[in-house]
Amino acid sequence: MKLRELARVIRSKNAGPFLLTLDVLFPTIEAFERVRDSGVINVDTISKLYGVPPEGIKIIPYPPGLAFKITMVRPIVSGDIVDTDVYGAQQHTPLLDLIVPLYRST
Amino acid sequence: MQELRCYAASGQLGYGIPKDSFNRGIKKRPHFIGADMGSIDVGPFHLGSGKMAPGKASAKRDLGLLLRASKKSEIPLIIGSAGTAGGKPHLLDTVEMVREISTEHGLHFRLAVIHAEIEKNLIKSALTKGRIRPCGPVPDLTAHEVDRSVRIVAQMGTEPLISALGAGAEVVVAGRACDTSIFAAIPQMKGYDRGLFMHMAKIIECTSICAEPGGRDPIMGYLYQDSFVLESQHPLRKCTAVSVAAHSLYEQADPYRFSEPGGILDLSNAQFEEIDEWRTKVWGAQWIPADEYTVKLEGACWVGVRCIVIGGVTDPIMIAQIDKIAEQVPELVRELLSEEIPPETYHLNFRIYGLNGVTGPLRPRGTFVPQEVFIMVDVVAKDAETAKTVCGVAKQNLLHFGYPGRLATGGNLAFPFTPPEILVGDTYRFNVYHLMEVDDPLALFPIELHDI
Repeated sequence: MKLRELARVIRSKNAGPFLLTLDVLFPTIEAFERVRDSGVINVDTISKLYGVPPEGIKIIPYPPGLAFKITMVRPIVSGDIVDTDVYGAQQHTPLLDLIVPLYRST
Repeated sequence: MQELRCYAASGQLGYGIPKDSFNRGIKKRPHFIGADMGSIDVGPFHLGSGKMAPGKASAKRDLGLLLRASKKSEIPLIIGSAGTAGGKPHLLDTVEMVREISTEHGLHFRLAVIHAEIEKNLIKSALTKGRIRPCGPVPDLTAHEVDRSVRIVAQMGTEPLISALGAGAEVVVAGRACDTSIFAAIPQMKGYDRGLFMHMAKIIECTSICAEPGGRDPIMGYLYQDSFVLESQHPLRKCTAVSVAAHSLYEQADPYRFSEPGGILDLSNAQFEEIDEWRTKVWGAQWIPADEYTVKLEGACWVGVRCIVIGGVTDPIMIAQIDKIAEQVPELVRELLSEEIPPETYHLNFRIYGLNGVTGPLRPRGTFVPQEVFIMVDVVAKDAETAKTVCGVAKQNLLHFGYPGRLATGGNLAFPFTPPEILVGDTYRFNVYHLMEVDDPLALFPIELHDI
């Protein structure tokens, strides 16, 4: 199943001009736990999807909001000459089709 | 402790506060009205240029709505981060609008104006004392960068707002302020629990974004001794336990810990409970005072003047090799102009929408060939004339570039209008985003009082 079929919100935004943050929110505790237990949201995967080094990535599960937060260092600071997305609001798409396996790979 | 009704009217003052929702909240007799007018999210332009993001008519409409309601209900009004970036020109423009509205409507009140633009010498002195450090993944600050900044502001904490209110201000127009300060100042004056009201302030500064469905309507925070309750003033927006909890994620790097001037707000033990279909009760956040009081500095420097050309491409033969063309044409331009305009004095970049104009070059991409792409030739140079010249040369050479297999010899671009060169104007870059230790939370933020 794809992440977009399980989540109720998949969004990106700046957290200040130097960080990009991605939020994945689920409609039910079951959906949240399924994704959490699959282990699919991990630093390696995010690093590959976004072409950014793993050192700058932080993943925080947030059960009260049935959510995951993924924060990374922006490769380009918001509003710099070659920036493409000042608000960072259209950087969520690589997550949409992430395949959530039924079982965690070991 | 009595119920304190904290009314957050706007998280982006100047773009139209929904009137019906606003009036619904006013009828519930709030103890004060707060509104946030600024943000760093809009990028470096407004901070650098001194300009306000919303248009004057809509900004004045919102300000007028709040000023009249505050006067009529005899409750304080606090506006933070005046004029988008909260620097001196932003603050003065906002105060000017407040004065105009007061004259037009015959309103009289004590106005506090709080400055937040910081003198460069003061920052350089703090720098030499080692009292400035990066805020996140930012290089260390240098005196050179301080000098390059057009303008540096600091985010004020609650203290200057409290001082202004203590001096009898009925309306406070503050320069750059921490979003929470606007809504935390009065609860702090009244002695409520700091963990609670900081958490409440953190949520209501975005108005009804914490509701389901989220929106821009005003929100009421009902503050008590041991909890607070959130209620959107739009009848269809429900503050649910999950929607409110999830709001801690919004535009934040970490949903559990928030750094604020003077301390950290820790949400590890926060609890959320729906009291009915519309309202959620919250408690459990803790305030951890910091050893040092720090303020966040924000600065922007000028980087040049931007000119762009926009045009579309439909030719599949060209689109198939557009990456290569986007490399070859700028090379050609640099070579053509190399004597008149040295290539290191300007920046030339092709943005190709439909391909990777948004995702940028880093992200892996698929093999899909779009039916149309939109090209933006983006030039930043030392002045408008140079930027226009480079843009023009790039446009002409792209228009008639002879790529392999070209059949469409009439031209490579469809222009939607003329002139295709658009002068965007001055462009800026964030070059200060640092924390500065201060001894006195008030000293950086001078307060003026005016009886209007």
